[in-house]
Amino acid sequence: MKTSKEFDDILDECLERLLVKGETIEQCLQSYPEQAAELNPLLQTALVAKKASAIQPRAEFKARARYQFRSALREVASKRIRPFFGWFPRWATVATMALVLLLAGGGTVAAAGNSMPDNPLYPVKLATEQAQLTLTPSQIGKARLCAKLADRRVAEIIYMANKGDAQQIELITQRLDKRLVMLASLASAQKAGEAPKALAPAPIPVPSEKAKGGKDVYVGANNHAKLRMAVACYAVEHPEKLRAVLEKAPESAKPALRRAIAVSVAGYKRALESLD
Amino acid sequence: MQNEESLVRRAQQHDHEAFAQLYEEHFDKIYRYVTLKIGNETEAEDVTQQVFLNALQSIPSFKWKGIPFSAWLFRIAHNQVVDYLRKKKRIAVPLDESLASNDNNPQSVAEHKLDIEQLLLATRQLTEAQREVISLRFTSELSIAQVAKVMSKSQGAVKALQHSAIVALRKALSVAENENK
Repeated sequence: MKTSKEFDDILDECLERLLVKGETIEQCLQSYPEQAAELNPLLQTALVAKKASAIQPRAEFKARARYQFRSALREVASKRIRPFFGWFPRWATVATMALVLLLAGGGTVAAAGNSMPDNPLYPVKLATEQAQLTLTPSQIGKARLCAKLADRRVAEIIYMANKGDAQQIELITQRLDKRLVMLASLASAQKAGEAPKALAPAPIPVPSEKAKGGKDVYVGANNHAKLRMAVACYAVEHPEKLRAVLEKAPESAKPALRRAIAVSVAGYKRALESLD
Repeated sequence: MQNEESLVRRAQQHDHEAFAQLYEEHFDKIYRYVTLKIGNETEAEDVTQQVFLNALQSIPSFKWKGIPFSAWLFRIAHNQVVDYLRKKKRIAVPLDESLASNDNNPQSVAEHKLDIEQLLLATRQLTEAQREVISLRFTSELSIAQVAKVMSKSQGAVKALQHSAIVALRKALSVAENENK
């Protein structure tokens, strides 16, 4: 009679032979005829459990996750590189952005502010946004700006959905995803950098008229709570708006819109978790 | 192992490609582990992503002291799952419709899904430690030595746990089978 420990070893050896080396149950049982009666049902069960190893992530999810992970890698790298160069990159960036804005002209920039992706001024709008992000000094300020830019992207998706332009919806969805990833990342960093006592309980998220207008949604006790409230409002509003437009959109635009909805739901969920 | 150690060291020195390679090597295993523990693909996707973002933030503090990188990563996954379930204040939910497999044959996909659903329901009858060892050993295909590192137990203890987990799983599966008859 084998001891329990000896039987555990035999079982494990048979599992290795069965699951890793590809031997059959019969081959294992032949090696241990005395334990065959006890081993057989356990090895049969192990083969059932092994079926779970066939679970695979969806290709679409894998691609999205890889993209977001690579974005996060770049984000981390850019934070680490900055101190090495000291003041130079920030000065250089500021100077370059100022030059771009000067060359573009104040009127052009203002006109580009409301442009949609099918407008020739749209690239100016994106460049201006990037400049704003670069020039915003605090992490909480950047996070607030990311939330505001996400709101703009959703408005653009709705505009392009009404035009049935699936390709543009895909492109804007990528930009929306990028801003939401950045928002979550900044929220995490800000939370790690600030003392917990600075955080106040976040108000209950109720979409307000101001929030719908995309203007001053930051009403609350402190910056973190204000940001959380804004993000919570958008987390409800944006998927709702996109779902509403999905019903009326041309069939050709619907798959892209569904992806946009999935990105907004997942992105805001992640951002809110980072803010909690 | 040497190769993994070298990759981890490069990743700690901010080598993007090294970290990307580690990500690719472990992504599916971590996803399977999380899916079996949570039981819902959509939510498992979010948790899996968070595991790797947490790993990215924490990798500078990883020290190579006989603990493989995979064990460290599975510990992060374990903590993330625990955190997720605690936040949601609920037990695992049923597998959703879109559970993916590599098979394109509709009949075998359906059979596969049924098998996985039965397995998931059966694993709920197991203790937390038994479910952990089944997930790591059979779903993520870790060796006994790796499981021992992840669970901070001796290999002997993991083998004993593996034995009791399979016995419990067999019992749970046969109960489910009898109920379906």
